[in-house]
This record gives sequence, C-alpha cells and structure tokens, in this order.
Amino acid sequence: MSLLDFSNDVFIAAFFLYSAAFMLFTIAIMGRRWSGREPEEHSARWGRAAFIASSLGLLCHLAYFFTRWAGGGHIPVSNMYEFMTFLSMMVMVAFTVIFSIYRKILLGLFSVPISIIVMAYAAVFPQEVQPLIPSLRSIYLNIHVTLAAFGESFFAVAFAAGLMYLLRTVNFNSSSKSDKRQQRGVEFTLFIIIVIIGFLASVFAFRGAGYETVFIRSNVTVDNPGQKDSTIEKVSYKMPPIVAPYHSEIESFQSILGIKKPLFEAPFWMKGVNAGRKLNTVIWSLLTGAVLYGVLRLLVRKPLGRALQPVLDGIDEGDLDEITYRAIAIGFPIFTLGALIFAMIWAQVAWGRFWGWDPKEVWALVTWLFYSAYLHLRLARGWQGRRSAWLAVLGFLIVMFTLVGVNLVIAGLHSYAGTD
Amino acid sequence: MSGNPPLIVNTKCECGHQNPVGTVLCEACGNPLLDGADSARPLEMRYDGKARRSQKTNPGVIDRVWNFFSSVKIAIYLIVLTLLGSTLGTVFPQESTFLHIDPSTYYKQRYGTAGDIYYRLGLSHTYESWWFITLLVMIGASLVICSLDRVLPLYKALSRQQIRKHRRFLTRQRVALATKVAEGPEDWVSKAVQPLKKQGYRVMTDGGALLAEKHRFSRWGPYIIHIGLIIFLLAVLARGLPGLHMDQHLAFPQGEIVHIPDTSYYLVNERFTVEFYKDEEMPEEFRGKKVLPKLYETKAVLYECTADCGDPSREPKLAKVASHAIQVNDPLSYKGMKAYQFDYDLTPVLRSVTPKLVNSATGESYGSFKLEMKNPQRSFTAGPYTLELKEKYMEFGLSEEGKPISKSPYPNEPAFFFLIKGPKLPAGGEPYFYFPKQNDKAEFQQDAINDKLGGQGRFLELEVGDMSGVDVSESTSYLNVRVDRAMPFVWVGAGIVMLGLVLGFYWQHRRIWLTVGEGELTLGAHTNKNWYGLRREVSSFLKKMDINADEKSLENGGDPA
Repeated sequence: MSLLDFSNDVFIAAFFLYSAAFMLFTIAIMGRRWSGREPEEHSARWGRAAFIASSLGLLCHLAYFFTRWAGGGHIPVSNMYEFMTFLSMMVMVAFTVIFSIYRKILLGLFSVPISIIVMAYAAVFPQEVQPLIPSLRSIYLNIHVTLAAFGESFFAVAFAAGLMYLLRTVNFNSSSKSDKRQQRGVEFTLFIIIVIIGFLASVFAFRGAGYETVFIRSNVTVDNPGQKDSTIEKVSYKMPPIVAPYHSEIESFQSILGIKKPLFEAPFWMKGVNAGRKLNTVIWSLLTGAVLYGVLRLLVRKPLGRALQPVLDGIDEGDLDEITYRAIAIGFPIFTLGALIFAMIWAQVAWGRFWGWDPKEVWALVTWLFYSAYLHLRLARGWQGRRSAWLAVLGFLIVMFTLVGVNLVIAGLHSYAGTD
Repeated sequence: MSGNPPLIVNTKCECGHQNPVGTVLCEACGNPLLDGADSARPLEMRYDGKARRSQKTNPGVIDRVWNFFSSVKIAIYLIVLTLLGSTLGTVFPQESTFLHIDPSTYYKQRYGTAGDIYYRLGLSHTYESWWFITLLVMIGASLVICSLDRVLPLYKALSRQQIRKHRRFLTRQRVALATKVAEGPEDWVSKAVQPLKKQGYRVMTDGGALLAEKHRFSRWGPYIIHIGLIIFLLAVLARGLPGLHMDQHLAFPQGEIVHIPDTSYYLVNERFTVEFYKDEEMPEEFRGKKVLPKLYETKAVLYECTADCGDPSREPKLAKVASHAIQVNDPLSYKGMKAYQFDYDLTPVLRSVTPKLVNSATGESYGSFKLEMKNPQRSFTAGPYTLELKEKYMEFGLSEEGKPISKSPYPNEPAFFFLIKGPKLPAGGEPYFYFPKQNDKAEFQQDAINDKLGGQGRFLELEVGDMSGVDVSESTSYLNVRVDRAMPFVWVGAGIVMLGLVLGFYWQHRRIWLTVGEGELTLGAHTNKNWYGLRREVSSFLKKMDINADEKSLENGGDPA
C-alpha cells in the first residue's frame, strides 16, 4: 500500500471517528435527563468518551496530513481539497485547545460538526495530488496558508460558542419586537447551515448516481472589422440543470424524472459559461436545504432554535460569552500573522509588491477589520453577551466568504486554488 | 451626568486627594466618585478611572479635534467604513489589474450598465480614491490620538498605585469577596504573600492591606499594536514619495544586455528556461490531458556602469556586480533593487544578421559585415563599397501618407535603408532597402522597391547565405524591476504590531487587592481579560488560605457596561 493510499484511508477513519465523537457528545448532553442517572456523572463519562473519540480522529487526521505530505512531496495545502481538509483539521486543533482550557463538553457538540461539514465540503473537490506550479513553490506556502487556516479555525470555534450563547439566551417565548428579531436571526443562521448541508447532500447524491449533462456555447467575437473569431465553450453539469447557461445549446442531456430540458436560462448578465452552472448549484442547494429544513420542522413541530434551546439548559451563559471572546482573542494574532503579515511577505517575494488589492487580499483585510471592530466594541465599548455573540457568528460568515465565496464569485490571483 | 454641569465641580475625594475633572475613581484610594455610596454595580475600571485629556472642560478648537479623534466610537466607525469601502472595490476587477485598457469604455463593454455606473462612481479605482485615502489617514490620526489620550493616564495610574484601597473600590470589583477571618490583619496578610508569589504575582503590603499584580506589560499591548500600525501606515504613504519607489516591467531577450532605465545598472538574461512536469510526475488523472509548468528561470547577470555612463558616443564601462538564477519566488536582489520573474515569450527575436554584398550579375562576393538590430553601426565596408545606414525601421510599416515608419521598437519586421557608394555607382550613391527576414523581403517586395529606387543598372544585393549568418535570441524573459526603499519600515511596523498582539492577547494584567480589618477580609480582583482564569486563580489562592470560595461565587454581577 502506498503512502497516499494509506493517507486516504486514515482520512476516512478520521471522518468516521469525528462522526462517532459527535454522536457521543450528543448522548453526553441529551442523555442527562434519562431516567436513573446522575446528570453530572453521565455527562462527564460520555463526554470523556466523546473527547477520546474526537482526539483519536484528530490523530488520524494528522496522520493523513503528514503521510500525504511525504507521499506528495509538498505540504498538502495547495488546492481547495487540501486546504479544506487542513482547515477542518485545524478546527479540531482549535477545539482541543479551547476544550482543554474550559472543559465544556457542550463545545464539542457544536465544534465537531463544523469540522465534519468542512471535511465533507473538501470531498466536493478533486482529490489527486497535483504537482506545484512555480508560483506555489515557496516555503511561504507552508507558513502563510497553515497559519491563516489556524487563526480562522479559532474564529470557527468562536462561531460555535457564539451560536450556543444565542441559542441559550434568546427568549423563544417572548413575542416582543426585539426578541422576535433575535429569534428570526437564530433561525436564519440555522437555515444557512442546513442549506450548506443540502448543498453537500445534492453534490454527493448526484455524483453517486453519475449524473452528467453537457452544454456548449459558441462565442463569436469580432476582433477586427470583417474578422470573426469564434470559440466554443463547454460546460458539464453534475446536477440536473434547472438553469442552463445563457445562450447555450445542449450537447448531451441525461433526463431525470421525465424532464428533458432545462427549465430556465441564466439571465444575460451571467456572462461566463460557468456562471449558469454555479447558479444551478445554488438553486439545488437551496431546494435541498429547504426540503431538509421542512422535514426537520415537521419532526420537531417548532422553530429549530426553540427545539435546540433545552439542550443548552443549565449551561452558564457567562462562560459561553467568555469562550467566544477568548477563542477570538487567541485566533486574532495568529490570523494577523498568517493571513496578513506572511501573506505580505510572500507577495513581496513572489510578485514584488506586498499588497495589491487583489480580492482575496481585500477580504482578508475585511476579516481583520471586522474582528478589530469586534475587539474595540467589546473592550472599549462594553459590547458583551448577545451583541458580541452575533458579531462572532457574522465574523465567521465573513471568514467563509473570504475562503470560499471569493473564489466562487470573484476571480483574482488566488483563483488557481482549484475551485469548482 | 446630564443637564448643566455645575460651575465648580468638587473633585476632592473623602481621603483628601484632589482629583482632576473627569476622574471616575479617586487616583489615590480608588473610591468611586461619580455615583452614590449605595450603588453596587461593578466598577468601570478602564484606564483605572483616571481622567483623560479629552475630558477637559471648555474645549477649544484643537481640543475638539482631539476629542473627535480620541473617541473609540469614532475609531470603530472609521474601521467599519473602511471595511465597507474595501468590499466595494472587489465587486468588479480594479483598473490596476489590467495593463492596457481604456477604463472609460472597458467597464461598460464588459459589465454593461452596472459596470458603467461602477466606473462613473470611481469604484474602478476604489483604493486610490480620495475618500478611501482620507479614511486611512483618519484611521492613522485616530490611532495616534486615541493611544496618547489613554496611554499617558494609564501609565500614571499604574506607576503610582496605592496599596490600601477604599472598601467600596474592593467590593465593587467584578471579582470580589468579603468574609470573616479570625487572625489579625498583619498576620493574615503576611501569610498570604507566599502563595501569591507562587502564582507569579509581585506582592506589596502595607500593614493589613495587600496588592498583588502580574503581567502589567500586557496592558501596553494595544498601544504597541497602534505604534506598529502607525509606522506601517507612514511607510505605505512614504512609498509615494519620489525616489523611494520604482516599478518597471522590462523585456530581456536572451543573451542581450539591457540598460535598466533611470539607473546605472545593466542586466543580461544569459539563459531563460521553462520546464514542464513530465507525465510520470503527474497524477494519473492528468496524464496526457494537462500541461503544468514546473519552473521559470532566468539566469541573470547584473552590471553596474562605472564610467562613460551618460555619454552616447562611447561604450559604457560595465562591472559585474551580481548574478542570480531568478525564479518565481526567488528574485535577484542587489542594493535594494530587485528583479522578479514576471513573464516570458518563447518567440525567437532577431538579434543580428551578417549579410554578404554580392554582385547579382556575376555572383561575385565583396565581403560581409555584421548588422545589429539594436544600435547598429552607421557605416559598413564590403570590398570597394561603403554602405551608409540612413534609416532603420524595427517594425516596418507605411504611414497614412505612404511614408515608411516603424510601428514599434521591437525587431519584429526590421528594415534598413542604405546608401551604397563605390565603383560603377552614381556619385551620390545608390539607395538600397534591406529586409533581413525572408518573409518580410517577400511581403514588402524588397526587389521591386529597390528596382524603383536604383533603376535598371542595379547589380548589388545584400544576401544572407545560411543560418550561420543569422543570430537569434531564442526567447525573451520579462522581468519586473523594483526598488522599494520604504519596505524595511513596512516590516518593522508589521513586526511591532505582532509583538503588541502577542503581549496584549496571550498575557493578561491581573491585580488582587485585599484589606483585613475588624475581623473581616475584603478582596477585590481585576483583569483586562480572561475573567474565568482570574476567578480560578483567586479561588485556588483562597483555598490555600483555608477559605472555600467557589469560582462562580466570586463573580460580582456580570458586565460593567
């Protein structure tokens, strides 16, 4: 068995261990009120088992990382698949750090699933080891990318703690205007998470079914008067096309549920042939997410936030507030060093300018400014508790946009990261 | 604090200390001055309750500016505005990402009406726009003034601390405890010194009162960060000053020495290499489908001109000063000037030809000479003939009036115009057009032109026999040559920011005050962050003193705000 095969195997082992840890954390928290048990003792025992499982998972994850490094010949953070697997690993490291300080079992219930979702997202991308192009062959690939991801993973833990704080404190029984707004905010955040799960579910379901439809579009551009230049672009859909690319023709169509052609065409301003495909993916994610959300609502028969609140009963909200802040306070210097300072050093070495207002650079700066505002609001303006928790939730959305959204929506110098 | 302020504010504390206006907690004993004795809310401990310059009564103009920039609220607004402004610049690509476009038409063509509006709003150059620069300058001002307004009072407060504090100061800390003790004040306090020292505190006592403090330096973290940011911002602004910054993209044909404009340096690209990954180095999925580059490398040698530099009539004297294999991520660097691998072109470029002058009637050859594309000699001799170079065209073309012109300075379609003098030629010489490249010769009909110019008796031709008479550089490497004298300051600024971040975030300033008297221990503790850790520490200290206080029970009301 080659190193890379072994690497892939332990990665899958890590995935299953995290899933097991998640279930054990759930039992540790949900099972407190099972009959014939001491709640404290139950939580402590199952919580320990869960933490052992998540730590074993992290060991496997580390084994994946280093064997892939050895087998591939370069640090595995060079494309989207590798970066996302690394980020999920760092989320577990950050969780382990914060957990060892605060020993809050509940933190596992919310942090481990973030790591699992990021891992699943990684699997959307092509997984083979690619050799490095000249611009990535640098020691700064090792330093810049890893430190940035490590800092961001603390923001992920802060997101988990912030969301927990909100679930714990928002008054779901009140119908006052401000409480209603908080309720809707929490519900919307949960919906977004479910849409992301919906995206993953649809990608893997259609991939499992081997679905493919291909569109072609010929572009005619007039370069010089009287001289036409025509190119043919091809795009392959891995999900049934609800939306076809703007001005395209079907090359091959795999019909599904008796539907033989796309329902709509992308609007004219979506010029790129891939824009239609991305829009299609978004629509599928929203649809699947909405269905998932609907099913969950039918099962629990109340808003998900309200249904989750009892899980957090008896948790000290002050501790959650503190954990949120602490995670950001630990992550902020690491993020600054990795995502800004080493990014500038590398940019200086590779491109001769330390800052060029490339979209990825701008969004790293936006993330940094956002968390600086958070720190000033908290330290100098006394924003604690709920407002601080909302900022922690919003901050992580900005982090995810910087990592994923910028590559999907805005092109730039970082677009070689292999986004699909 | 609403309504009209009284004309004379009494700021004298009951302990007898006279405090400046704006003081929240007495500078000496810590007694809260602003709210009533019955309030039990945790104290606002920022800057230890000292008055700041911005709290002056009767502000003048300078004071008002100072007050504006010293406000953290304003600073946060500036941060948020900069954040929002930055995001606007990522909607469409900025003008600076393109080398050759006309922005006034590009955005409309490429992105339609939205693009046109984007351009008209000036968002296509967001980061150079006046409002964005103004925001950055205002952030800089805010950094300076906010820091000065706070760091000085804080420094004074922390360097002149009284050990014995007012009881209300202690009981209204966020971590506080009041409990009965049996021992006498001085005995209890002296017993408390050792355990606290073990926890890393510096301990000072004053009879029945004690102050334990650690990691005060962490309080300077934020101000160190701000100093670093100011140095960074100033360095960035300084890059705009003339002479500190140079940035040019230059073409270096292989084997040709090229002068770097505005400097005394010459650089020669001795060899340019592109390597691609071989199939066996690629994953199976890619083989035969994808081509991935592995290496771009320019073997470069840098020369400095030592004499005859600006004189066009003489060859400059050059001395080799540096050589380096330039790769992406590995520039050549010499005395602050750097050359980065930027681009390449594998189209061969003609460097020189060595044509022979022949008699087309007899086939007799009169000799050959070397004709350089760049900086050719002005006259040549071949046998009894002399050739005077009158004009050269690097990329031959015709103007609208039908006159020959050069369309670019690159030797893509070179042409030379000679006047040949010698035996059997007219006294004024015979004009002769020469296209060194075979295709150009045909395309521009060299023979027809010369027949027209030289008339019927024309018998001389310039010919290149074989490829040995042609010197071609195989490829061209494009290097980005830069000088950035402000960079060291950028890095120093960034380094100071990091130092401040580490000091400020990975350590916390913790203080514990306690007084024992009348059979009672009163304890108050404060930290600038991580209350959880402080409570744990105080609880474990009390345990050693045989007082059982649960971590949670030490908490005294939640947030001060």
